[in-house]
Amino acid sequence: MLGLGLPQRPPLVEETLKRIQSHKGVIGTMVVNAEGIPIRTTLDNSTTVQYAGLLHQLTMKARSTVRDIDPQNDLTFLRIRSKKHEIMVAPDKEYLLIVIQNPCE
Amino acid sequence: GCDLLQKSCQTASIATAEKAAQTRKHVDAEVQTEAPVPVSAPSVSPHDDPRLAAFLRRVEAMVIRELNKNWQSHAFDGFEVNWTEQQPTVTCLHTLGYPPAQGEGLHVTSVSWNTTGSVVACAYGRLDDGDWSTLKSFVCAWNLDRRGLNPRQPSAVVEVPSAVMCLAFHPAQPSYIAGGLYSGEVLVWDMSHPEDPLLWRTGLTDDTHTDPVYQVVWLPEPRHSHRFQVLSVATDGKVLLWQGVGAGRLQLTEGFALVVQQLPKNTKLKKPPRGETEVGATAVAFSSFDPSLFVLGTEGGFPLQCSLAAEEAALARMPSSVPLRAPARLTFSPHGGPIYSVSCSPFHRNLFLSAGTDGHIHLYSMLQAQPLASLQLSHKYLFAVRWSPVRPLVFAAASGEGDVQLFDLQKSSQKPTVSIKQTQDESPVYCLEFNHQQTQLLAAGDAKGTVKVWQLSTEFTEQGPRETEDLEQLAA
Repeated sequence: MLGLGLPQRPPLVEETLKRIQSHKGVIGTMVVNAEGIPIRTTLDNSTTVQYAGLLHQLTMKARSTVRDIDPQNDLTFLRIRSKKHEIMVAPDKEYLLIVIQNPCE
Repeated sequence: GCDLLQKSCQTASIATAEKAAQTRKHVDAEVQTEAPVPVSAPSVSPHDDPRLAAFLRRVEAMVIRELNKNWQSHAFDGFEVNWTEQQPTVTCLHTLGYPPAQGEGLHVTSVSWNTTGSVVACAYGRLDDGDWSTLKSFVCAWNLDRRGLNPRQPSAVVEVPSAVMCLAFHPAQPSYIAGGLYSGEVLVWDMSHPEDPLLWRTGLTDDTHTDPVYQVVWLPEPRHSHRFQVLSVATDGKVLLWQGVGAGRLQLTEGFALVVQQLPKNTKLKKPPRGETEVGATAVAFSSFDPSLFVLGTEGGFPLQCSLAAEEAALARMPSSVPLRAPARLTFSPHGGPIYSVSCSPFHRNLFLSAGTDGHIHLYSMLQAQPLASLQLSHKYLFAVRWSPVRPLVFAAASGEGDVQLFDLQKSSQKPTVSIKQTQDESPVYCLEFNHQQTQLLAAGDAKGTVKVWQLSTEFTEQGPRETEDLEQLAA
């Protein structure tokens, strides 16, 4: 008999991440919690930890920049474009969704 | 016709019997497995998942929208940012020379940058025909970061009793440098002790090369990667690995010998002159991806793909304290003359370049014997070729016509992007090396005994957006 008391992992989480990861040009996808600790990732461990730590700090800094300029405003999305690819961060109170895409040149 | 025989066989009849079985006692018992604890590398307590699902539901649409916009956007086409000061042209930063060596008409046979990138050393010797075994020569080093640098006075000079053909700085110790001599010896010096610099030498034993050593490289020891050995190649057909042991001696630890009969027969080669069994090695390059894989350039003009792990014994009749093995696994299609230099790409595991006396550069893939491309760079000899350590599609070549040619395969696959004139009277440039720490610097030594340190323009030092993909395309 299956253990009835244990909630099944909602398929929505994996489905959503799979949809994002399979989008054109996406190199990696990860979800980071409020402490900067990665909880889902499609990349290897060391790369994930590096991205998670650095982008968590940068997102907090970006958010405080926006709110310092106008306390009624808040950060909705962060994009960093570099020579090699683009990093997108969707922030939230509890999580960060980080997507790395290699856009069509 | 054939004979027909009839045979048959039969197993003995099987005995059978009927039996029945029945349990006499039975007991009721129930079994249930414990619910498995989910094992995941980042452990998530189950009650977070609904909140995570809600978060993803909230942001998914926005993220997909941005990904789509990005994919179709032309907003950044051709947009480039300059973070470093732009260097539009190639300039000569330093012109270095040692007058006593230049006075004797010595050539710069080899240059090497040390591990910190601040010291450049050059070897003085002769690369033209002649017996240079007793020619007194020099190894000079200049510390370019030191204030008050005098280009005619090296920071350190070592006198050597025989012409030095090649140099290589130690990959970790900033002052240790190995050199190969015309006499076949290999020496290691410590340039920080000019009064007594010699650390180790092979001496002239049965193991030593019997011909000039054309290249030396440092290799990490197989079991202790922080310690290094010296590998030397010479035209006597031997590739030897040396370890420094007590009393200043370099001891032979492993050796390989190239013998004509043992060359892989996948490529048809010209028959060698009667009686010659050795294949002279003139250049070596190790793969940046597989540390046991290396390419040898030969006097016969054909590169050889070799492995340190090769086990077949060499059919060499030379005496040796260590059994010599035959290293070659693949013979590549030859140049029209001896090869002087080979270089493995730091960005692609299968690509390497070779340059030789036919004035051509060949681009090879490890996977096939025929070159992928053949470019004529000079009507005279080509003495050195090196891949850029930062730009996957860039390489530099030293020509017998006195110039350093920089090729950018992204711009043109036919002619050099920049041709730097090093010598005024067209005397050859014999060697060049990129500085791996300060990647805009390139050192080149010539027949006039001068080492010039060139500062490359920014286009040669900053990687473009699609270079690695373009390199892959080239290799396909």
